Amino acid sequence: MQDKSYYEKIGFKCGLEIHQRIASQFKLFCSCSSSFAEDKMIGSITRSQRAVAGETGHLDVATQFESMKSRKFVYNLYENSTCLVDIDEEPPHEVNKEAMEFALSISNSLNAKIPYEIEPMRKEVVDGSDPSAFQRSMLIGYGGLLDLNGIKIEVPSIFLEEESSGVSGTSGNAAIYDVSRLGIPLIEIDTSPTIRTPQEAKTAAKELGLLLRLTGKVQRGIGSIRQDVNVSVLNGNRVEIKGVQNLDQMDIIIENEVERQLALLKIAEELKAREASICKPIEVTKLFSNSKARIIREKISSGCSVIAARLSGYAGLIGMETGKGMRLGRELSEYAKSIGLKGIIHGDENLSSYGFSEAELSSLGKELGLKAGDSFVMVAEEDERAKLAIKLVLDRAEKAKVGVLQETRAIEQGKVSTRFLRPIPGGSRMYPETDILPINPLHYSKKSGPEKATNVLDRLEKEIGVKQLAEQMLWSKELSQYSEIVEKTGAEPLTVATILLEKLKELRRSGKEISTISNAALVHIFDEYAKGTITRQAIEAILSMTPKTSADVDNIIKEEGLKRISGQKLKRLIEEYDGSKVEKIRAIMSKHRLNVDGKELNEMLK
Amino acid sequence: MYSAEIEKAIRSAGAKAGDMIRITEGDETFEGILIPRSEAGDPAALILKLQNGYNIGIKFSGSMKIERIKPGSSFSFPKSALRFSGHEKIGLIYTGGTIGSKVDYTTGGVHMATKPEELLYEIPELSVIADIKVNNLMSIASDDMTYKEWQMIANAVKDAFADGARGVIITHGTDTMHYTSAALSFMLTNLPGPVILTGAQRSPDRGSSDAFMNLICASHFSTKGLAAEVSICMHMGTSDDYCTIIRGTRARKMHTSRRDAFKDVGGGTIADVRIDGEIDYIGRYQGASEAKLELRTKFEPKVALVKIYPNSDPDILKYYSEKGYKGIILEATGLGHLPVSTVHKEFNWLQAVNEAVDKGMVIGVSSQCIYGRVNPRVYKNARMLNDAGVIYCEDMMPEVAYVKLGFLLGNYKHDKSAEMLCKNIAGEITERSEIRLGSDAR
Repeated sequence: MQDKSYYEKIGFKCGLEIHQRIASQFKLFCSCSSSFAEDKMIGSITRSQRAVAGETGHLDVATQFESMKSRKFVYNLYENSTCLVDIDEEPPHEVNKEAMEFALSISNSLNAKIPYEIEPMRKEVVDGSDPSAFQRSMLIGYGGLLDLNGIKIEVPSIFLEEESSGVSGTSGNAAIYDVSRLGIPLIEIDTSPTIRTPQEAKTAAKELGLLLRLTGKVQRGIGSIRQDVNVSVLNGNRVEIKGVQNLDQMDIIIENEVERQLALLKIAEELKAREASICKPIEVTKLFSNSKARIIREKISSGCSVIAARLSGYAGLIGMETGKGMRLGRELSEYAKSIGLKGIIHGDENLSSYGFSEAELSSLGKELGLKAGDSFVMVAEEDERAKLAIKLVLDRAEKAKVGVLQETRAIEQGKVSTRFLRPIPGGSRMYPETDILPINPLHYSKKSGPEKATNVLDRLEKEIGVKQLAEQMLWSKELSQYSEIVEKTGAEPLTVATILLEKLKELRRSGKEISTISNAALVHIFDEYAKGTITRQAIEAILSMTPKTSADVDNIIKEEGLKRISGQKLKRLIEEYDGSKVEKIRAIMSKHRLNVDGKELNEMLK
Repeated sequence: MYSAEIEKAIRSAGAKAGDMIRITEGDETFEGILIPRSEAGDPAALILKLQNGYNIGIKFSGSMKIERIKPGSSFSFPKSALRFSGHEKIGLIYTGGTIGSKVDYTTGGVHMATKPEELLYEIPELSVIADIKVNNLMSIASDDMTYKEWQMIANAVKDAFADGARGVIITHGTDTMHYTSAALSFMLTNLPGPVILTGAQRSPDRGSSDAFMNLICASHFSTKGLAAEVSICMHMGTSDDYCTIIRGTRARKMHTSRRDAFKDVGGGTIADVRIDGEIDYIGRYQGASEAKLELRTKFEPKVALVKIYPNSDPDILKYYSEKGYKGIILEATGLGHLPVSTVHKEFNWLQAVNEAVDKGMVIGVSSQCIYGRVNPRVYKNARMLNDAGVIYCEDMMPEVAYVKLGFLLGNYKHDKSAEMLCKNIAGEITERSEIRLGSDAR
């Protein structure tokens, strides 16, 4: 880990965008349910979308034409969580009051100012994740401040917006989306790019997450909070990393990104020193008509063209590591992948491992006019797409001379490295949502923001009685569940905390599907416990059987004979045993461990 | 529009909508593009587009400082690299449908694409379908259309064919598109090629608009479709895969917002057109005419469409009669019924109808059931009306019957009009009630 002065030296700039789903009953602009987990799919529709001005990034009109033809999207529709508004077949309804009040209260607690009039906007989205091709979004707070124990981080904007659809897969050229979660209210909190170290970014993200959780009005579970990180270094460009799920890895992800950006800047310098340039692509299909390289042969036999281009002065730089498992070559291939290719072949690779013969390679070299210090790129695909792919790859190769490109990048699944997603869109993709009237924030009642974290911690310490457990609870995602259970059932806080934070984790580690245990089932278990109808040991026994509903809980208690034995019944049970107190306790507990409360037994035997 | 006070403050800062301005009030400063105020919202709020693209409403006060930082840039369509060439010629008549319009991202205003290269910038696919000549005829919402606009459109269609078009597309607001399609069906005879009305349910300033496919499919059908009739081309379902071509006298808007709002009532589907241009012919159609295109654009505006409902007041006929109306279409219930045997005489329409007929008005009856045929012979109430001289309009939809009666009375005398009202001219009446199976087919 590098220190603060290192990051200062490299001109490190970092800002966060936190997106959190709000637990309102309905979606932001319609009357669909905001909970979609158990909804039933009722069918699907196919739509095509087109890019509108300012959204095509590096594509020119001709390529836009090409990409447009293939931009098909399939939307899966759901019974209770999709309506005509979601699929852009009906104008939006009025903004959801619950979500608006929540967002305004968060703005207040971040000391942000609220606009005199809120103007709903359409933010164009190009990946098809919204059937209307835009996301509704509005600025509801500006000029806020986050105080991290003395380190002040500006919060220039807070937005209330719609959640996008979830990707469900692909089919041919079409991307498939689930429209169930689309339109759930989402709050976005942006910090200014003044975060000084990767560690500080992680701390700020955790604090903002805590602030949101403390409201008790946010959705829980995977994907309900997403952190995007903006990172740049001196002489570079802003890169947006989307969807950093695991906060514990946030600093490492940022460190890796910094390493990548610095390496790209180094490559740019070297390319400039070598006066490197890209050359015109040439079709070379005929050179490989009898190739032993399967990767090419199969493409050619299915009618594809092979196109290659010389990269003058690029040798060695395409294959150079830019970070763990990262190379410029991979960045080039990501541009080809963005239009559906499997990848590219380049001159810095070990080409004989593909099965290319010496003769093939030397005739390719001749055809392209390769000289010492040159490299090349090659794609094999159906003709039109091959032409587009090589153009995109060459554009990217040319831009390697700039260094870092303004890009949106995604975290690779299960890794701490990133891959190219799309160019960063500018402000030009915003236009007014003419179907919704401007909003006067004074029409919404002022709700108090979340409790202060220190107050919550004090309360938790008093309730739970164990400082370390209270602290753990404060930072955990189970906090709102804990509060709900304690409030609704009156169960002892220590027991609730121990089970939520420790026992459930143990069960998960032992391979139990605890995510299927519903909130209602969990509340019901603790309710039975608080009423004295089951013992503390029985809680664990029931949980290990992963009940999905409250009815499941009742069945388990009945079928497994988990009802607590207490009072007169316990007295009668004790009478069946002989021996000393200790012997009696041992005997009874070994037989009725799940039904008898040790404390009560102890009391009775006094 | 901003309030006069704000307008004045903006002017005295030398600024106008679209300019980059700076507003300072106390310790707060905002910089952004001044956005014109729409009719919605608080007139005391100044709207700025901030650097991040978001608009924000700022409360105006006399003490705030407004400075102009730099002038706005005016919107112009980027030149398309594509050209129309080597394809069938078609005419495209704009009437105010918003297809081809483009939002100016700076000011939020809407620009119409009236030049071919602008249209191609929006929908590049058209460059490989047709050679399109645009006629920017008018720009009005379809709810503001009158028969005078129908006449202008009919003339423009004739001009487009005279100019060598194989087919003609008319972009039109959707609300009254089926009235216009019916009017053009009666006004134009011996068509040499397809006349297709199309529009958009979702505005084309969004990437998901139905306008694009509707226009693409309309272009396909105009260049190679075999039906030389007036028809409507809109989405078949909610997916962007097929459009359906419905005869102009049998189409009806059946949903307020869905893209597949237009449905064929009683078997008027001519063809389905796939977005890639494949055409499936579904029903009968009229081929291209060798005869000279005939135009009859006269229309009698003193014709009304009156809905019958429980408690409806027959005196409405007196009102129309006194106003000099020449014809009425009664949108009756069921098989074509009116309250003519009521217990309470003030609700009885029989006498009012008799008087209207005697005064020389042409009275037609269609059904508000929308689907199905009227029949004066089944129930006594209808027999009484039939005897009174009311004309039963078979399976013609009420809106179409209304347009037809206006057309007839504009071009023919009373008796001829009355005779022709229940005879088919342009597919508005069918002889046979075909059985159609399926969920929404009747």
